[in-house]
Amino acid sequence: MGSAIVTNSLTKSYRTRAGQVNVVDALSLEVEEGEIFGFLGPNGAGKTTTIKMLLGIIYPTSGEGYVLGKEIGDIEVHKVISYLPERPYYYEHMTGLELLKFYASLFGIKDEAKCRDLLEKVNLHNDMTKAISQYSKGMQQRVGLAQSLLNDPKLLFLDEPTAGLDPIAHTEIRNLILSFRDEGRTVFISSHELSEVERICDRVAIINHGIIVAQGRLDDLLRGGRIEIIADEVSAALADDLRGKLKDATVSHHEGRLIVDMAEDSDQNAIFDAIRTAKGKVVSIIPRRKRLEDIFVESVKAKKGEKPGGAA
Amino acid sequence: MKPIMAIAATTVGEAIRRRVLLVILLVGLFFVMAAPGLSVLSARQELTVLKSLVLGVIQLTSAVIAIVLTVYMLPNEIERRTIYTILSKPVLRWQFLVGKYLGAVAALGIMMSLMTVVMLLMFVIQVQVRDFNRLSELVQGPAMFFVQMSLLAAVGIFFSTFVSPLVNFFLTGGIYMMGSLFNPMFETMASNPNMSGFAKNAAWLVNAMLPNFADFNIQNRIINPESVIQNPMVHYMNLTVYGLIYIAVLLIAGILVFDRREV
Repeated sequence: MGSAIVTNSLTKSYRTRAGQVNVVDALSLEVEEGEIFGFLGPNGAGKTTTIKMLLGIIYPTSGEGYVLGKEIGDIEVHKVISYLPERPYYYEHMTGLELLKFYASLFGIKDEAKCRDLLEKVNLHNDMTKAISQYSKGMQQRVGLAQSLLNDPKLLFLDEPTAGLDPIAHTEIRNLILSFRDEGRTVFISSHELSEVERICDRVAIINHGIIVAQGRLDDLLRGGRIEIIADEVSAALADDLRGKLKDATVSHHEGRLIVDMAEDSDQNAIFDAIRTAKGKVVSIIPRRKRLEDIFVESVKAKKGEKPGGAA
Repeated sequence: MKPIMAIAATTVGEAIRRRVLLVILLVGLFFVMAAPGLSVLSARQELTVLKSLVLGVIQLTSAVIAIVLTVYMLPNEIERRTIYTILSKPVLRWQFLVGKYLGAVAALGIMMSLMTVVMLLMFVIQVQVRDFNRLSELVQGPAMFFVQMSLLAAVGIFFSTFVSPLVNFFLTGGIYMMGSLFNPMFETMASNPNMSGFAKNAAWLVNAMLPNFADFNIQNRIINPESVIQNPMVHYMNLTVYGLIYIAVLLIAGILVFDRREV
């Protein structure tokens, strides 16, 4: 697998009254072909600015970037990539079908059947002759996804694709995005809806104040969760004993119930052995996997105050 | 060429649905139809004044439509983010700008054609003008206005690449006023032997820089047949070529600005 996106120290600065602000600061990342890559960050972190630079809509102040092996801004690349902007607006006088035909004409595609097929794929086959002004948010997002597939893209940029959608529309969009990966496409999703990203992305990068604060495979980032063991009929003496032995654990005891909260990779068998020896009963074992939200909050908090400024 | 035509067609579709433009058009059409009722002069004077009045209404209405249509064109696309979806496709910025311009001109053409048809109907039905030559001569006025408005639209599009709609409204409107009213004055100043060299050169420069909107106003020839243009076709052709060259210069300048603009 090659790289779909590579950036080296990509920077975007703006001059303000307060001086120069780096909206995106020396961004270096690599997105592999065929993966769903989550680009996360709070509002104003520089996500949309990064996407606009990768699309050649705005120009980097310094650094370099390559999309599908070509320098960013190369119009040839635009034939095989697509973009769904955040909260998109379409020409409302058009119907869904007319809109797709318009975007198709920008690629020189005259295939109306393809437009109809794509609208069917996003479940808009019954509404394709309705004006866009009559579409709900979810329908507008789906027509947006349909237009993003017109050129059979190798790489899709989706900016907050599920923002403001109801749970049903969320699920529909999520399934569509997952189907893109199955079709071998690379998907670059910018979002701050972490639960959504956690469900579908292979790798993520977290950006804050224009700087990448964490990146990697989701499995690696989420490693290091905790586990909670609950046992009944346990003496206070055993609880005290465990407290002394387990340095990285929280041990509580109340009316014969023992609760141990410990790192996922600690020696759990030793705890079970001690409980069994003391004639206690293990009633539950609850793994508490690290969530993306924890990593996000940790990363953003860790860097807070280090870099002023922000972006769209 | 296909992206340009697709963008132009969409622009026309949007423009002819914009309520503010339709209201301006309806007001213009109302005054064209109501013009005969406004005249209280003798028969000879009445026809002369009526032609002047109707052509004036068409010109003013078209100018307002051209300005309102173009000053919001690019800012609206950026504000509503429609431009991002388009520029992420294999569409170059110059293609986008030219497509928007051609769409604006086509929309102007449709609206001006409607006003011209209503004007002709008014002259045929209400004023009983049935002579084909006189009617075809009447159409020459709006035809030259169309070139004039195409030039005005290019001014509006050019400024919309770097100023806000409000500033653009006054800039484009101001240039239209100056180009319509003051060009003859600057021309006279430039050739006045009593003026200083600097003033003459300054007047010449302003006259050369400002689009000469006044020359497109050929209604005087229609109203006053005494002031004959030797060869009308050559005159109209020259005017059209002048307009096209100016439009090309403005579009190239607009493309150069827009190409580096952060959207």
